[in-house]
Amino acid sequence: MRNWKLVFEYELKTLLSKKSTIIPTIIIALIVFGVFNIPRFVGLFSSGDTAKEYKPMQEIVEDVGYVFEDSETGEKVKAALQLPDENIYKSRDELVNSISDGKNELGFVVLAPTKFESIWQDRDIENMAETTFSNLLQGINAGTMLAEKGISLEEVNAIQNIQVEYTTTIMGKDTSINLLIAFLLLFVVYMIVILYGNVTATLIAREKDSRTMELLITSTKSTSLILGKVSASAVSAILQVAVIGLAGYLGFMLNKDLLPEFIIMALSGTLTKQYIITYIYFSIVGYTLYLFLYASLGSMVSKVEDVSSATAPVVFLFIIGYIVSSFSMSAPNSNLVMIVSLIPFTSVMLMPFRTAIATVPTWQYLLSGGLLLVTTILLAFLSIKIYRQGTLNYGNKRGIVHAIKAAFNKE
Amino acid sequence: MLLEVKDIRKSYGTTEILHGISFSVQSGRAMGFLGRNGAGKSTTIRCMMDVFRPNSGEFLLDGKQFKTEDYRIGYLPEERGMYSKNKVLEQLVYFARLRGGSKEESTKSAKEWISFFELDEYANKPLETLSKGNQQKIQIAQAFVNDPDILILDEPFSGLDPVNAQIFKDVISEYVSRGKLLIFSSHQMSYVEEVCDDICLIHQGNILLTGSLDDIKRDMGEGKLLLETENMDSQAITEMLCAAFPDMECELYDDALILDTKGKYNQSQLLKFILDKSLNIVRFGMYQPSLNDIFISLAGGDTK
Repeated sequence: MRNWKLVFEYELKTLLSKKSTIIPTIIIALIVFGVFNIPRFVGLFSSGDTAKEYKPMQEIVEDVGYVFEDSETGEKVKAALQLPDENIYKSRDELVNSISDGKNELGFVVLAPTKFESIWQDRDIENMAETTFSNLLQGINAGTMLAEKGISLEEVNAIQNIQVEYTTTIMGKDTSINLLIAFLLLFVVYMIVILYGNVTATLIAREKDSRTMELLITSTKSTSLILGKVSASAVSAILQVAVIGLAGYLGFMLNKDLLPEFIIMALSGTLTKQYIITYIYFSIVGYTLYLFLYASLGSMVSKVEDVSSATAPVVFLFIIGYIVSSFSMSAPNSNLVMIVSLIPFTSVMLMPFRTAIATVPTWQYLLSGGLLLVTTILLAFLSIKIYRQGTLNYGNKRGIVHAIKAAFNKE
Repeated sequence: MLLEVKDIRKSYGTTEILHGISFSVQSGRAMGFLGRNGAGKSTTIRCMMDVFRPNSGEFLLDGKQFKTEDYRIGYLPEERGMYSKNKVLEQLVYFARLRGGSKEESTKSAKEWISFFELDEYANKPLETLSKGNQQKIQIAQAFVNDPDILILDEPFSGLDPVNAQIFKDVISEYVSRGKLLIFSSHQMSYVEEVCDDICLIHQGNILLTGSLDDIKRDMGEGKLLLETENMDSQAITEMLCAAFPDMECELYDDALILDTKGKYNQSQLLKFILDKSLNIVRFGMYQPSLNDIFISLAGGDTK
């Protein structure tokens, strides 16, 4: 216990004093704080100078030339857009010249009531002028046809816009709002596991590579070493997340009144007491489970450069979890989603995610949480054995099956 | 303290590396553990330090099973390894504390050893900023911090320049003189000869020889005489001596001859014969082999 604490303190101090820990934490915290402050800055820049209102019709009036081969439609377009005469040309060639000269950016040649050609100098990807003009012609033609049948356009609009009032009562969770935050927090777990998992595996592989491991295991027990290293990585990550979380909380509290309503709703809808407890439990225990897994993988290789290939399969576990999480959006309580949320390596992601978007039966929480805890303890024992065995293997990289077998063999 | 190594066997897969080795180390007497490359020195030491577990046999300290965690042990592995990016003092204190030292005691001891090797200016710098030789000194310091009861050093002289090797020899002698138990492996015979009271020679996983260095030298030189004359024609003298003293064997040794009398002739008889032949004697007396000679004669081949 004494040496566990010693290893923990030493490793934690080493991790926290690394520039690679401090700098990203500060940058991410500032970004998170900054994101919550965006409405404040937007407010500053927009005050006194109201943003230019988007008017689709402007796109087909300003710097747009017209040639009307169908004069009847031309009159209707002129009236609808209140086109000045200078925008109207007699022939296609004149229109083309005006565009080439830079007088106009775009030109429309109306060939028939339902047919036109557009001529561009440079086409802007965001410019919707063609669609707008097409809609205008549709409206003109529809008006003409309705008039022929003796129906006014106002009557049609009234029929199309009959308002139906409704109220919503959600007994369980509002998936549509909670998804955003749930995915965001799932991504946080993913990042922490991958980042710190690799840090832990590299730490152990480097000790083996540099032969520090031999000094360590002759100075104290493997149990103290593995538990000390894993708990140091765990605490370091929690501290990092806490700093970033605090930055987010401060940003939120300072700008609460300025934030869009849907963000407030998403946060208050997702961050319930039940979700927070589930998220913290599954994240911390699951994260520890993954750290033991990474520690075992780090013990199996003899060189630092082999770490990435040895740890790559872990990412697949997350991909499975992520795919099932996406699938669970449409069927959060289906058998597949339920089973995957009970499996320790994927429950880390699935349980908090399901909690956010659906009502999960209590027995599933207990079973999944229990399985996760038991697996973590078993993997801790296994990783200690693999670590100890790893010191005897200064040679090639070993496979997981061989490493597990060797861990239980008499040396 | 008496550390006994009893019938240790160790195999890797189907290959047996140590074939039931036995020897003992007494505190207050430096023990040199010798052998050629691949003889089994480091495997024996790793078994002793519980890095590897032997297939059979036992290590006893004063008759009880030797458990590394029960004693304060300083260990210098053959393949050196410390944290290259961490500060020197910080990690010396860390290793000392892992072996049971208190924070104050470990810090004090670590600082003393850093000062001893005149590396104070590097105490708060990462290990990787030191030269290779200075890193080696820090490795040695980590074995000595907190004044261990038992010191196990695997090739401690490798990487040290002659001045630092001399300093280190003095440290070892002082340590042993305080009644501590020391075992170190080496294939640098001159250092072992200067420092060790006892030796143990391992060859291909078997102990060839173990005991007091003085006794071994005496035993291996018994019945042998060394002769060197002015302008010596070794061939002519050998023929002359062999004719006069049948059964005696003559062997060329540097510029002299080693005469193995097989216990049949004494020093006076040979001296009288040489004087009668009017040979000018440069050296004549009992022959005592150097450790290098013993090593070559038993383990064969070149030594470093």
